[in-house]
Amino acid sequence: MKRRVVLLVVTYSRAARGSLRNVCRTHEETVVRRFGRVALLHETAFAAFQALRLRAKHGSDVQIERTEPFNEFEAVDEEVRVAARAYEERETPSLPYATFAARNDHPEPEDLRDREL
Amino acid sequence: MSGQENAGGDRQGDATTDSQGDAATDSQVTDSADSRTTGVAGGSVVVETSDCRLSGRVIDLRERTERAVPAERVVAAVRRRRGDSGDGSDEETAVVGPDAKANVVDHDVAVTSPDPGSAHEYVGLVEPGMSLRSRTALAAAARSRGLSAPQDEELASVRAELADLSVPEVDTERARERVAGIESAVEAGRERVATVRGRLQAARDAGRETDDLREELRAAARELSEVETERAAAREALERAERRARDARDARDRRRRLEDRVANLERGARAHLVDALDEEYATAVAAVPGSNESDERDSGEVAPFDADPVTAALAVGRVAELRAPVVLAADRFESPNAAADWLDAPVVRV
Repeated sequence: MKRRVVLLVVTYSRAARGSLRNVCRTHEETVVRRFGRVALLHETAFAAFQALRLRAKHGSDVQIERTEPFNEFEAVDEEVRVAARAYEERETPSLPYATFAARNDHPEPEDLRDREL
Repeated sequence: MSGQENAGGDRQGDATTDSQGDAATDSQVTDSADSRTTGVAGGSVVVETSDCRLSGRVIDLRERTERAVPAERVVAAVRRRRGDSGDGSDEETAVVGPDAKANVVDHDVAVTSPDPGSAHEYVGLVEPGMSLRSRTALAAAARSRGLSAPQDEELASVRAELADLSVPEVDTERARERVAGIESAVEAGRERVATVRGRLQAARDAGRETDDLREELRAAARELSEVETERAAAREALERAERRARDARDARDRRRRLEDRVANLERGARAHLVDALDEEYATAVAAVPGSNESDERDSGEVAPFDADPVTAALAVGRVAELRAPVVLAADRFESPNAAADWLDAPVVRV
């Protein structure tokens, strides 16, 4: 199945941000969402065209990435999902995760850091 | 400084104009052939066109030239001096030669006058159909009078920080292109290996000679492994480039934050400067001749900052300290002299 991906456009200057804003205003149908100097665009050649225009104009002040929805059931083991939920439901809000993990037999932060998705 | 338009080492700026008494005279005209013109006393502006040369504090180009000179060209000639002089900042230096006293723009108009200050940029040209950001212009007018804002110091330091910030340019495009190219080469190589292998298998099954095909398969496999190696290298190069780009983006982000800070401070400074002069500006708006003849006459009261751009520009011009001439293309005053008196500035009427 084809994955539903989007283009992520991040701008790094006021000028580039202004251009991004203009593009988003002019081509609303292309925009999934815009957050200030960042926008998610639909995965179409037209969106790519707009993103590339921005890059042609502002060079490295425009970063273009492709992102895809995160599916935690595919991306990580169950213990990670369980640990996240359990930690958010902990009774002592000030308890650091490392301590919490050690006490309740969840994966340690260092261990998580070394695992790739 | 009569009649010494180009005298010695004298920069155009020594006349601080504005002594109205002697200046409220009309301009002096001469043929361009006779360039030793005697300017009017106190005249601080010299305008030269292809067919005439005028000097004085008030210059009316309408009657003096054969062809109408476009207002934009005159004002460009006034502003073109900017880079030439100490106070003018940045970029526009290129046009002026070292000994260009009055520099010719488009070989058509040359203006010798004091340097345009900060307000001239906004209200140096007043013409129907103009647009004006009146608050920004008023803030510039405040600057022209030497007013400052509490934000100035921080603004200067943030600007300096911004100027010092170097942002590395990282080009990842070539690396991306290389990876993309190599991916298709790997794909093609794989297909080739599979095809040859299939043919080899078929030959074996059919009991045919297989030496050539075995050799072909070896060659294809060799080639595939080569492009695969190259792909690994290309991917690694791309990763490195992307890492560098990421670091560079941190610098870009810092720069962007500084830019935002500059913009905020500028806004604050502008508000401060506008505050300092807004009453004076409102009074000036109310006093602009002919402004209530235009569209707002019915109701009368228009907020000063919503005044029509010509009115706003004239009011800002009155409030501002203008040494360079205002190029006036609007019919608001009885005469160019009246305009110059009202604005307390030199005027070139076009």
